[in-house]
Amino acid sequence: MIRAENLYKRFGNTVAVNGASFAASDGSVTGLLGPNGAGKTTSLRMLYGLMRPDSGAIHIDDCDVVASPQSAQSRLGVLPDQSGLYGRLTTREHIRYFGNLHGLKSAELERRIDHWIEILDIAPLADRRVAGFSHGEEMKVALARALVHNPQNIILDEPTNGLDVMSTRTVRDLIRRLKAEGRCVLFSSHIMQEVSALCDRIVVIAAGRVVATSTPDELLSITGKTTLEDAFVSLVGTNGEAA
Amino acid sequence: MNLEPLKIIARKELSDGLRDRRSIYTLIATTLFGVVVIAFMLNQIAGQRKSADEITLAVTGREYAPVLIDWMSQQSGVTIVPGPANAEEAVKGKKADVVLVVDRDFAKDFDQSKSANVKIYSDSTRRAVQPKLERVKSMLNRFSAETASLRLIVRGVSPEVIAPVKVEDVDVSNSQQRAAVILNVILMLVAMSVMTAGMQIATDSTAGERERRSLEPLLLNPVPRWQIITGKWLAACGAAFVAMVASLTLYSLVLRKLPLEDAGIRFHLGKPEILMLIAAFAPLAVLVPAILAFLSCFARSFKEAQSYSVFLVLPVAFTGIISSFYSLSGKTWLVAVPLLSQYAFASDVMAGRTPAPLLLITAGVESAIIAAIFLRMAARLFTTEKIIFGH
Repeated sequence: MIRAENLYKRFGNTVAVNGASFAASDGSVTGLLGPNGAGKTTSLRMLYGLMRPDSGAIHIDDCDVVASPQSAQSRLGVLPDQSGLYGRLTTREHIRYFGNLHGLKSAELERRIDHWIEILDIAPLADRRVAGFSHGEEMKVALARALVHNPQNIILDEPTNGLDVMSTRTVRDLIRRLKAEGRCVLFSSHIMQEVSALCDRIVVIAAGRVVATSTPDELLSITGKTTLEDAFVSLVGTNGEAA
Repeated sequence: MNLEPLKIIARKELSDGLRDRRSIYTLIATTLFGVVVIAFMLNQIAGQRKSADEITLAVTGREYAPVLIDWMSQQSGVTIVPGPANAEEAVKGKKADVVLVVDRDFAKDFDQSKSANVKIYSDSTRRAVQPKLERVKSMLNRFSAETASLRLIVRGVSPEVIAPVKVEDVDVSNSQQRAAVILNVILMLVAMSVMTAGMQIATDSTAGERERRSLEPLLLNPVPRWQIITGKWLAACGAAFVAMVASLTLYSLVLRKLPLEDAGIRFHLGKPEILMLIAAFAPLAVLVPAILAFLSCFARSFKEAQSYSVFLVLPVAFTGIISSFYSLSGKTWLVAVPLLSQYAFASDVMAGRTPAPLLLITAGVESAIIAAIFLRMAARLFTTEKIIFGH
């Protein structure tokens, strides 16, 4: 369960997030949809505790992120905007490193590493150093490393950005699987197909404000459009500003 | 408090750093280069010293002192040749370097147990002649002392009567000083490898983390920031220590193989000395990674961070050079200056003098405090959004 209330964040004179409120519940997939520069990444960074909101409240389950970011982080699995890997470490070492930092050890950790390697279909890459991996392969390593501690809440910042068809499919399967396991999944995207294919709820964000929160079907009926893309454009305006 | 993350992070940084083959080979190559150059220079000096053992001495008036000349020519490596008639002109005109002139009355004075005269002509501005001159003087002194002892024994007096003070000869000749400079340069080179090894991991694991865009995911782990930066620092210290022990051992092995003791170059680099030198440079291995970890937080790339490291290399190199040319031994004010006091301690160790532990205690305490301050500042930087996201 992720709840954000009245988030507000400015950088100098630019207001990046301007009073955004939204929630993502367990056992469902919530999409944060918005044009580039709408404040998606900044909102997510506040959710996972690396940025402090100027005002507003964030809760992961019952944990106050602003007050105790670390205990929130142990309930969170995050694929951040910047998801760099260490070129000289292998896939398995990446997952093990983060598992260790989450307090996992020995046989239990190794079991989970194998589990995620199998789910993400990266067994052939498991003991290779990641330098030279394709973008899709890197993304899968980053996902496995983010999920190794079995977090109840999962935040993914544009997880399918730049992926090929096969990798995109793996990521989509993963998101559905996480939902089926009863987890709370929140992901951001600016790609319509992605959101319509996966989301139970859509939070449309533009210019730092939430302009709509509903199911995909409701979004169509609210705007009176026939496609999600038209609905989206009518909500955020053609220049990305909220209508 | 759970300190496990410190260990996890340090272990990861060390194994990551060990796989950075290019940096490791560079470190090994530069260390070996230093060893080879030092060995070559010391060997040269040893060669020069040896040449002082093989001398050809021009003696004018050798017929006046057959006893002395016989004794001298029996000394190993000494060849006596007839000297020029005008010794002074010959030395001035560089036709001869050292000329011994025996007084006409030498035999008469010698037989009557009076002081018999000889003169040594040499040019004190010609430094290359000094070892030979020293050798000649010491031969004459020895002859004089042996004769005196014999005369006293004949008169039933113990020779110790005229030696109230027993003087042990300490050679401070030119080559000895040059050897001391070179031994101090070794200390500087060791300090350099300590820094290079520590720098590599310290910069790669902070600035490199940003450059690879891996800092954000790392900071998402529920680990206090100070533990992340301290873990990285521990790894860098570990690398610095390994580099220090390895290069000291290497120098000790190579120096032992050179014929330095034969040539009269005194140096001490056994196990206890190596341990003391490790103690001398330990503060550096602790301090440098901490400062660099802090500086690297401001760098956008690994390269930029490395260019900051010049600010640290220069002072260490300069103090090293200063301490090679000025004797710092026994100067109490040094206690207050960390780097200088460490070099002073180390060069006392190398020269076989008893080093003052106080020199290290203050350097150690000061370095630890400064390192802690820099680590704390770095940990704070790791919580600022500007540093994490580079806005």
